[in-house]
Amino acid sequence: MHNVVIVGGGPAGLSAALTAAVAGAPVLLLDSNPRLGGQYWRTPADNFGDQNENHFDLATGLKLINSVKAQSNIQVLSGAQIWSASHKDGVSTLRVIYQGSEKIINTGNLILATGAYDRSLPFPGWDIPGVMTPGGVQSLIKGHGVVAGKRVVVAGSGPFLLPVAAGLVKSGADVVELLEANKSWRWASSILVLLENLSKIKEGFYYIEAISKGKVRARFGQAVVGAYAGENGELESVDIAKIDRNFKIKKVRNIKCDVAAIGWGFTADTSLAGALGCKQVVAKDESVVVLIDSKQQTSITGVFAAGEITGIGGSELSMIEGEIAGKSAAKFVGCAVDISRSDLIIRAKKQRFAAALIKAYPIKSGWRSWLDEQTVLCRCEEVDLADLKDSIVELGATDSRTAKLLTRCGMGLCQGRICGRFVVDLVADQLNISPTDIDRIAAVSRPIITPIPLGVLAAGE
Amino acid sequence: MSQFDIQFTFNGETISAISGQSVGAALLAAKQRTLRKTRFNQKGRGVFCGIGVCFDCLVVIDGASNQRACITEVISGMKVQTQVGTNA
Amino acid sequence: MKNPDAIVIGAGVVGACCALSLTNAGLKVLIIDRGPVASGTTGAGEGNILVSDKGPGAELTLAIRSRDLWFDINTDIGGGFELEAKGGVVVSRSAKGISDLKKLSVLQKENGVEVIELDGAGLRKIEPYLSESVEYGVLYPGDAQCQPMLAAAQIIRAVKKRGGSFIQGENVIAINSNAGSLIGITTDKNNYSCPIVINATGTWAGEIAKLAGSHLPIMPRRGFILVTAPAPKIVHHKVYDADYVANVASSDADLQSSAVVEGTASGTILIGASRERVGFKADLDISILRQLARQAISLFPVLSSIGLLRAYRGFRPYAPDHLPVIGEDANISGLWHAAGHEGAGIGLSPATGELITAQITNQSTFIDPTPFSPKRFQGSEYVAV
Ligand SMILES: Cc1cc2nc3c(=O)[nH]c(=O)nc-3n(C[C@H](O)[C@H](O)[C@H](O)COP(=O)(O)OP(=O)(O)OC[C@H]3O[C@@H](n4cnc5c(N)ncnc54)[C@H](O)[C@@H]3O)c2cc1C
Ligand SMILES: Cc1cc2nc3c(=O)[nH]c(=O)nc-3n(C[C@H](O)[C@H](O)[C@H](O)COP(=O)(O)OP(=O)(O)OC[C@H]3O[C@@H](n4cnc5c(N)ncnc54)[C@H](O)[C@@H]3O)c2cc1C
Ligand code: FES
Repeated sequence: MHNVVIVGGGPAGLSAALTAAVAGAPVLLLDSNPRLGGQYWRTPADNFGDQNENHFDLATGLKLINSVKAQSNIQVLSGAQIWSASHKDGVSTLRVIYQGSEKIINTGNLILATGAYDRSLPFPGWDIPGVMTPGGVQSLIKGHGVVAGKRVVVAGSGPFLLPVAAGLVKSGADVVELLEANKSWRWASSILVLLENLSKIKEGFYYIEAISKGKVRARFGQAVVGAYAGENGELESVDIAKIDRNFKIKKVRNIKCDVAAIGWGFTADTSLAGALGCKQVVAKDESVVVLIDSKQQTSITGVFAAGEITGIGGSELSMIEGEIAGKSAAKFVGCAVDISRSDLIIRAKKQRFAAALIKAYPIKSGWRSWLDEQTVLCRCEEVDLADLKDSIVELGATDSRTAKLLTRCGMGLCQGRICGRFVVDLVADQLNISPTDIDRIAAVSRPIITPIPLGVLAAGE
Repeated sequence: MSQFDIQFTFNGETISAISGQSVGAALLAAKQRTLRKTRFNQKGRGVFCGIGVCFDCLVVIDGASNQRACITEVISGMKVQTQVGTNA
Repeated sequence: MKNPDAIVIGAGVVGACCALSLTNAGLKVLIIDRGPVASGTTGAGEGNILVSDKGPGAELTLAIRSRDLWFDINTDIGGGFELEAKGGVVVSRSAKGISDLKKLSVLQKENGVEVIELDGAGLRKIEPYLSESVEYGVLYPGDAQCQPMLAAAQIIRAVKKRGGSFIQGENVIAINSNAGSLIGITTDKNNYSCPIVINATGTWAGEIAKLAGSHLPIMPRRGFILVTAPAPKIVHHKVYDADYVANVASSDADLQSSAVVEGTASGTILIGASRERVGFKADLDISILRQLARQAISLFPVLSSIGLLRAYRGFRPYAPDHLPVIGEDANISGLWHAAGHEGAGIGLSPATGELITAQITNQSTFIDPTPFSPKRFQGSEYVAV
């Protein structure tokens, strides 16, 4: 029987691996991190000891990771980074950087579970050392036992701010502000959805309890709209604004802090799916996601996708999607396994919860008014708003691709992962048009998924 | 919590770390937040995304530039330097 | 714009240069493109402005003139497109290659190109990271470089400031003539009447010619370029193997490549470019990227640790005799072609604009335009693919 190859060792990829393997399919699991778990179950090296303290539910993760490791027909390659991929005539070719050289993997049965990263929005000073993403702050605690600072402002929008604030409090940091840009923790806006996702309420209370111990009170309708460096060039204070429903600034105060963890939800990393040629679509939150059918199959037969790359929905949705994808892929290679009715019901529940969240935490266009001409947009290539405007007003760019090529905005090492999404909005804003789906999908196209040393490239066949 | 068990240098200064940590995490723990200076405006930058996505935490490690501090595991005796533009 | 004196189809670098030259000659110019500025081959190539890769002949004369005109344009419009007189270094490592390169450089020198022969030590003095295996090379101080997309955009900006205009998002679908004289064009959105039209549609120029009932055998020749991560200053000139010169002149359909390695103003290193005749085949061909990487590393071993960030792919417009097509259509007066510059369109565009303008305005030309005339394909057996 053929291998099922899975990319991504987070909740989705792990669930997919275990399900496919249990169904009888030999699995090859590739993940770029040194340890399995993905973003949610990120753990440090073994010498760090028990990590339960830093997690709401590490037990589930460890159980899954250990089952995957114990499963004799799963081969795991951690530290394997796919840099390029293509699909032709039913065969996907993955080009992998592994231990300093390149490995080529061909497969007819592939599950993509490459996850997501924090969504950022620019504002004056967001490039100062000390301004970080909440996920970054979280991963330092979970993966390295390091607290990023002493006085921390946590801000942005979405439920993920809660675990980050909780993690900081537990690790002894002073969370001086916890700011949600929208009007309230609007989970409660859809009671029905909540009731069918009780574990989420439990999780929410767990975090709120932890935060309360640190005497942190969340404030709503507020956002960080400016950051200032001290003499050493590092973060010293931030401007916090009361904002209206549309995120326009009403009133500003300044507060001292050494870290500001600011995030606006997540952006799926569909680079690999895009390189393979899987159809991508624009989701409700205007992020680009991989299109799947009810079996989690992408537009390419034999290529499945699960987890955040199909739409942001959290670890539980990722897991059930992974299970369904695992079954679909196993069935595809001839195993006697079927997606059950209860699988579909669970997934639908989690999807409703995800949809409710996206509705509850909208990112309103008013953030664009926080920028000034000198605000850096592309952190890699140091392109600011004035440069972007110049490419449109003076050089005649009429779409984000042309603006990008004329300014280098989004052409640096991160390949537009940080700025690409919001630059599409800013360009459209300048031109007084709405971005098209084509613009948004073009902005996430990265045929070279991650830089590969020329020497490694040259050595391959 | 585990104890410092390895040492490396940052711009010549000795820094203690716990094996398994990333260079970026160990430097943050040692209050080193500015990891590079940008190519055009020489602006300081540090760990931003923390998971290898943003490439803002670039440092020079044992002479090789463009290394992401946040995902590179620190190794005893490593020579880490601030990356100024594209060089040490 | 009402009643333009001339319409330029194509907002690539060639169209931009034609428009600027016509504008400076006093004409009211309208540029039309189906896409944004430089959305064709100009936005998919490198910005080498080379005199080093051409043997004696009409193209070399055009190249030398064009190279100087680039610096005039830079002054004229106030720069903004990273023009740099950085010089080229051509090396060879085989006995035959070296003797061919020597012969070529002698001929080039006779034709007014500045050439400086260098031995291994001399080479490493100006290119410290060059491989120890290189013992012979020629420095061409005349070779230059620009950022082609910015060049096209800045030139079109100047044209607009000088009274011209640029309409994007209109596809030209008909060339209208009356009794052998051009009267205007039709796009998918509008009709334009105008006595003069310049077809600067690069790789697609054959289609425009066809609309006019003429035959222009312009075909695509695919090329890939590697772009590295911003790197320390490793490469100071544009450096390439002499094989490249042989490739440029070749008509072989198979893949050929000889890496031209150069640094850019933004710190990235460009490694280009391959040449293949595979039609408009778009997929990223990894084996070509590997070949380019190998060749670049063989010139500069330290590149081995530098990361590849992007790869570009473009389709060079080429004519069967590898000469650009610059001149009036064989059948319709008032229709001018400026296309088919293959891998030298960036370098040759200012002189192309000048040559077109001089002929349209009945001025004397700096070179006999006959070798470039579209009339050379009259009755030819060449068929565009
Ligand atoms: C930093 C961070 C922290 C988070 N913390 C929490 C939290 O505490 N609670 C919560 O509910 N949600 C958290 N999330 C949200 C989280 O993304 C999801 O809940 C969950 O982890 C998604 O699971 P997944 O399997 O889809 O993807 P992920 O967990 O993101 O796993 C994807 C995996 O694929 C790997 N990968 C990606 N591309 C490649 C490639 N080209 N080659 C090889 N491997 C690749 C990645 O390294 C990663 O290990 C966090 C997100 C981020 C970015
Ligand atoms: C990989 C690669 C590397 C290269 N490196 C170099 C180099 O270093 N130096 C150098 O000098 N040259 C180089 N070239 C060649 C150079 O890029 C081209 O010769 C040059 O860009 C051609 O310019 P152009 O204006 O003729 O065509 P284009 O830039 O293609 O412009 C033609 C325009 O016409 C428009 N168009 C087409 N049909 C229609 C229609 N029906 N209606 C309206 N508009 C239409 C298109 O949208 C396009 O914008 C390279 C090319 C490649 C592919
Ligand atoms: S902090 Fe983003 S890559 Fe290291």
